Amino acid sequence: MAANRVDRVERLTNLLALLLESERPLTLIQITGALAGQYPDAERPRRAAFERDKAALRDIGVPIESERFDDNATYRIDRAAYELADLELDADETRALQVAVAAVRTDTSAGRDALWKLGGASAGNGAAVSAVLPQRPELPVIRSAVANRSTLVFVYRGDRRKLDPWGLLLRGGFWYVVGHDHDRNENRTFRVDRFDGGVDAIEVGPTGTFTRPDSFDPRDAFPADPKQIGHAPGDGVLAIVWIDATRADAIEREVGSARVLERHADGSINVEVPASHLDAFRSWLIGLLDHAAVVSPPEIRDQIIDWLTGVVEAAS
Amino acid sequence: MKGPRNAEDRLSRLLVMLPWLMEQGEVPLVEVAARFDLTADQVQDDLELVAMCGLPPFVDEMIDVFVDDGLVFVGVPRLFTRPLRLTAPEGFSLLASARAAMELPGADRSGSLGRALDKLARALTDAGVDGAGSDDTAGVAIDMSRPEATDEVVEAVAAAAELTMLYYSPARDERAERIVVPRHVFVDAGNWYVVADDAKSNERRTFRIDRIDSVAPTGRVVPTTDPVDGPPGFFADAELPHATLRLAPAAQWILDRYPVGEVTQLNRPKGWIEVDVPVANERWLARLLIRLGPDVVVLSPKDAALQAADLAARMLARY
Repeated sequence: MAANRVDRVERLTNLLALLLESERPLTLIQITGALAGQYPDAERPRRAAFERDKAALRDIGVPIESERFDDNATYRIDRAAYELADLELDADETRALQVAVAAVRTDTSAGRDALWKLGGASAGNGAAVSAVLPQRPELPVIRSAVANRSTLVFVYRGDRRKLDPWGLLLRGGFWYVVGHDHDRNENRTFRVDRFDGGVDAIEVGPTGTFTRPDSFDPRDAFPADPKQIGHAPGDGVLAIVWIDATRADAIEREVGSARVLERHADGSINVEVPASHLDAFRSWLIGLLDHAAVVSPPEIRDQIIDWLTGVVEAAS
Repeated sequence: MKGPRNAEDRLSRLLVMLPWLMEQGEVPLVEVAARFDLTADQVQDDLELVAMCGLPPFVDEMIDVFVDDGLVFVGVPRLFTRPLRLTAPEGFSLLASARAAMELPGADRSGSLGRALDKLARALTDAGVDGAGSDDTAGVAIDMSRPEATDEVVEAVAAAAELTMLYYSPARDERAERIVVPRHVFVDAGNWYVVADDAKSNERRTFRIDRIDSVAPTGRVVPTTDPVDGPPGFFADAELPHATLRLAPAAQWILDRYPVGEVTQLNRPKGWIEVDVPVANERWLARLLIRLGPDVVVLSPKDAALQAADLAARMLARY
């Protein structure tokens, strides 16, 4: 077959060049005619090879548009959409992005590829500080829905949700999308890695279908302290917890000196902490092992005693 | 990418390489290879291939490029003068990395990174919806609040300064003074860590910064010939022993937190699963079992449930 004599990269480059240069949309017959000898002669393999090439170009980000025209599909590339808009970055700004990409490790090469397009090189990581950023394939889709004010429909732990996405937040190592849930008519927060069905299961609505409150900041959407999630700050239950001297300094730093109610001669302290979310509170308390004990309220103290007793009895 | 490459990778690399080469005019082949993470042979092959590309009636005139004596020359072409636009994942990745970098200690928010971020956010926010540029956070926020000691530890990294610190070790459940020279600070899954040369063990160790109770410089400066190149991949340790656990739905959050092995769905009790979890130390496992309480059954190691019970009994003794 003649097509085998042409390297695939060469054929892809020629196809890309043809579509970029053409002033009008082209049909498959016109394309394979212009690239004579590069596609198979028989119709079905020719069509299959072209579809593969089209998918490959779209995969790397080439915006190929297709339209039907008198029963024939036609193809074109809008050159303005193809080319990178000039961000007009100064040299020091490009360098700053370079350093940022080197300091923030992700599990994709997308950031590095973006830097190359912007004219920067990958920098070695000599920085004193770095971060590991989880990446999810859903994130670019959600971000663009946030920017375009498009309503999202997705499945979350088995339930179909319709959400006006107001923003994305990375907190505690997880990405959350925060917004207005249509069916529940409430503001809700969803963890992106718990979406069902991956990126293909997300439906993106038309642009400009909602407005976001002016003062919205995703960081204020839910409390950073998991012991408070699900409750408005202030309305919750507070527990008083005794902390021994080994962990007293660390816990005082964690909860703040204003929450230290008593200081004892042996270095231990009593602190007041939110316990509205009992699971989160218990998990935090257990992390302190026998360096802590609940003083009050009695119902929480009893629940902790029951829980620990359950663990002891399960082993005997 | 120095192994075998597919056509998509080769083409997308060429589409960033060509505009850059045009700006340079003439570049040593090895420099091109280093910049774009390829071997010199791969660069030469790809450039020679692309030089043969062309469309009638300008066959062979599309891209004027040749390699001679270790130098790459590129003339003025008609096409591929600008890089391909950023894809959505590229744009997002760059934005998220830049925003995360802004939250790191020592970031200059009003400096060049801040300006680059503004330009990037403007370019990525489609105009016309609510006015490009008014969207100052572009809907992406990164919360990297850090423990108090972090900034002092970062300064010690930069200065190669030795520190004495009071550190709580959960593996030993004790607080002890340690002498360390911090080499790198990183944040992963919301926790801040410092990689440091530890005087006691004479090894490089990773410490959690929120467990440092106090820190003070000793006054010694200890430069290293072996700098740390980013965060260690300590979770990928396949040598760790494993525990086999059965988990109720309420306990299955651990799948998101720890690098568990394959998950088996159980028929009874309904909704329960069985997984293997790597165990860094026995104390950690005991604490996890107490946390999960009635929502976990441990199948192995055999004595894990007893160790959890011992620890729970010690905790009960406080009541």
